[in-house]
Amino acid sequence: MESLLYLVLAGLMTGAIYALVAIGFTLLWQTSQTINFAQGEFAMLPAFFMLVALNLKLPLWLAILLGVGVSILLLGLAFKRLLVDPMLRHGVLPLAIATMALAIFLKESVKEFYSAEAQRFPSLFPEQKVDVGGAMISIQSIGVFLVAIAAVVALQLFLSRTRTGRSMQAVAQNPTVARILGVPVERMILLTFAINAALVALASALVTPIYLAKFSNGEVLGMAAFVAAIVGGFNQIRGAIAGGFLLGIVDNIAAAYVSTQYRAAIPLLILIVVIMVRPQGLLGRAEERTV
Amino acid sequence: MTAVLEVSNLSKHYGGIAAVDGVTFEVFEGEILGIIGPNGSGKSTLFNCILGQASPSAGEVKLDGKPVTGMRPCDLNRHGVGRTFQMLQVFPALSVRENLILAGQEHQGTAVGRLFGRADAGLSATVERMIEFFRLTPVADLRAGGLSFGQQKLLDCAMAFMAGPRLVLLDEPAGGVNPTMLGSLGERLRALNAEHRATFVVIEHNMEFVMSLCTRILVLAEGKIIAEGPPEQVRRDPKVIEAYLGN
Repeated sequence: MESLLYLVLAGLMTGAIYALVAIGFTLLWQTSQTINFAQGEFAMLPAFFMLVALNLKLPLWLAILLGVGVSILLLGLAFKRLLVDPMLRHGVLPLAIATMALAIFLKESVKEFYSAEAQRFPSLFPEQKVDVGGAMISIQSIGVFLVAIAAVVALQLFLSRTRTGRSMQAVAQNPTVARILGVPVERMILLTFAINAALVALASALVTPIYLAKFSNGEVLGMAAFVAAIVGGFNQIRGAIAGGFLLGIVDNIAAAYVSTQYRAAIPLLILIVVIMVRPQGLLGRAEERTV
Repeated sequence: MTAVLEVSNLSKHYGGIAAVDGVTFEVFEGEILGIIGPNGSGKSTLFNCILGQASPSAGEVKLDGKPVTGMRPCDLNRHGVGRTFQMLQVFPALSVRENLILAGQEHQGTAVGRLFGRADAGLSATVERMIEFFRLTPVADLRAGGLSFGQQKLLDCAMAFMAGPRLVLLDEPAGGVNPTMLGSLGERLRALNAEHRATFVVIEHNMEFVMSLCTRILVLAEGKIIAEGPPEQVRRDPKVIEAYLGN
């Protein structure tokens, strides 16, 4: 059995990826009341965009850049304009169902038009391991963790220290007044979708070298990030981050100490307990809506 | 005197009901005009039509002589019309300082500058002046959602002045504010009017507040103006007494 320190460190790496994807859930919910059930598939698909670029003999860094760019266009802007805008007029539930359909469409399309087989994906980091306090951790895991954390910190700085970030927060908190004050609300919402697409594309580039590129990758990642966002607090970015790390660590410890068979059940148990005890999530705030 | 706001024959119909019916009035530079009337008299609808939040069925609104009828609220804001809200409308998770910067930042710089420019949008000095003027210094770095109701009303007023407006429309500024804070709010509004010749239109139910603050009062009943004049004259007008107390 692995040491507890190793499991916690590995959990932090997994949690950082969950957090990247979970932040997208909270961003979209806060600015446009969109629950994207295709979020997992959004984190699966960019790896295939990058693989196409790699097949054209482009260097890895350029393939990743192109993958992020194409993701922003398709999974950010086109998703918002072609699916969210038309469906949101009919309410949150039709949109949620539409994103479920989109998830199936994306998954089956990759299986049909690319491959049903898992594809190798080059890593950004070397394979060697280093000793961290007695636990042997791969440089790849450390690299994944550091890049994910850097992305989260950059996002937080952007939201809190720039005019655009402040406008995005205003749109999330009170879109009516933001509009009256001259904040370009639609542009800010579109920017949120673009940021979500960039985050999932980054998550895809980081996680795929470990799990290989496969059409079904989004199922596990999407569910884990969704649970992380709810456990942490669906209306708080810091909640999504905390939920991601908590779930990553619990996931690894459960696999080692409880059972690999019941590994997937543990986060769901946490989810049930949190919903019963603190429905707004660990760091979320209670919301009221007039009906 | 120069008319900052001219409202001519403004009407708003909902089906067969006239919420506002041919209202005409002017607001002059440096004036504090109060609009009063019983519940359902059309005050809020009139405000919404002036501010572009509802489309008038007929009539015209001019700002500094230029037609602005039906103009979007954000464009009116750019043209120098500030407003406060009946229900508190601050950004609860942002600090008092951030709320104030936000209220002024969209008027500063180019589109590129708004994306990548300084976080304070060059408004630090104005923000500090507003914080001091509205006596919000002790709470300047606190989240707006954590302030008392009266402090949030002061913040709401301060936000309305961040873009240096020509005209500010105040929607029930006294609503829910305790007497001490109300005194402070009235004093600050009078000071803005005296020192900067700020022009206000105030909708208010608190008669004592509106009579002491405004230089001219306009009374609405069933969508029409039934009386207009200085506070003392309006207070004694039999039509006003009848509208409020009935026969």
